[in-house]
Amino acid sequence: MSGQSSDSAKRIADELASCGVKLVASLPDNWVMDVINTIENDDRFVHVPVNREESAVGLCSGAYMGAMGSAALMGASGFMTVVYAITKINYTYEIPLFLMATLRGAVGDHHKHHISNGLYLLPVLDAISMPYQIIDKPEDIGLISRCYRHTRTYARPLAILFTRDLLRGAH
Amino acid sequence: MKYLDCFRAIARHRTDEIVVASAGNSCQAWWAATRDSVGSFYLDASMSLSSMFASGIALAQPELKVWAFMGDGAFCMNPGMLMVERQMNLPNLTHFLVSNRVYGATSNAGLPNFKDNDYAAIARGMGLERVFAISSIDQLEREFPALKAANAKAHTFVVLEVEPFTDEEQKIEQPPFDGPELKFRFGRHLESKTGASVFGYKI
Repeated sequence: MSGQSSDSAKRIADELASCGVKLVASLPDNWVMDVINTIENDDRFVHVPVNREESAVGLCSGAYMGAMGSAALMGASGFMTVVYAITKINYTYEIPLFLMATLRGAVGDHHKHHISNGLYLLPVLDAISMPYQIIDKPEDIGLISRCYRHTRTYARPLAILFTRDLLRGAH
Repeated sequence: MKYLDCFRAIARHRTDEIVVASAGNSCQAWWAATRDSVGSFYLDASMSLSSMFASGIALAQPELKVWAFMGDGAFCMNPGMLMVERQMNLPNLTHFLVSNRVYGATSNAGLPNFKDNDYAAIARGMGLERVFAISSIDQLEREFPALKAANAKAHTFVVLEVEPFTDEEQKIEQPPFDGPELKFRFGRHLESKTGASVFGYKI
């Protein structure tokens, strides 16, 4: 774990805890592994690794109905598989969902297999009218709790998108 | 076992369980059997996610008993859910898999490998220990006390082998609620049962 990476992971965990998130359901992406490991080893959270990203949507939506704060953590590719679940559950029933994903395919991501995410992730979010907040710098991590609280007011889903520079450092 | 008879029998055994019904016929059948509009969440159009939704509630409120219904059509879309359920192993969650061997909500369209799917074996293969397979009302009446045991130490998975809806049964009423209406009915019910604040504010 690099210095910046571990510091960002810890600050993300602190920010989640500060706004009452207890359950974190995750599927990995290399960029968020430090966040996942930090949450897994933090007693403030119940971390549930899930079999597919839609399961995280279902789990977090149910947790909301049970009055437990929650967050779904996944890669950009995983997000691209959950449009049905989000539109059917979180829009139909107006159930808040706080989702955190990676901004794959953007500047700084050298993986060619994520070019499709660079091309389509943001347009897909726009197409389903799902607000998002890009977090690129450590000093912006505080936006997490503001966005989380907004999901509770807005009663619909919202995505936080983490950049590579934030999670792994620039290269 | 007739689908509706099965649900009526389960409804007779219900005491204060919270219920999540799934997309398709299980919403219709539970509504027909109970007319419950507060302690049941009709998670229509949520293919394969009713047990995950119910798991979130059960995790958040361990004092509640939570039942989740799901058709085998939904199950086939996401059988890995059982890995998550086994890992969470919530003793207050019972997952009823309603096996009618068709996609019931879409006019009983064919389900892949429907003759050979052994859902109880799949569950056991994923490590679940409290697995029941029920194929008649008599068996359901005999086994329900055991599957509903208050002191169960693990998650419970129940396969209900039922006949598909007939053409006439397909016409029975869907729960007549809009999404946000259901959310508030159900959420306010949970608030009153648990004292928890689901919505964070009251008008």
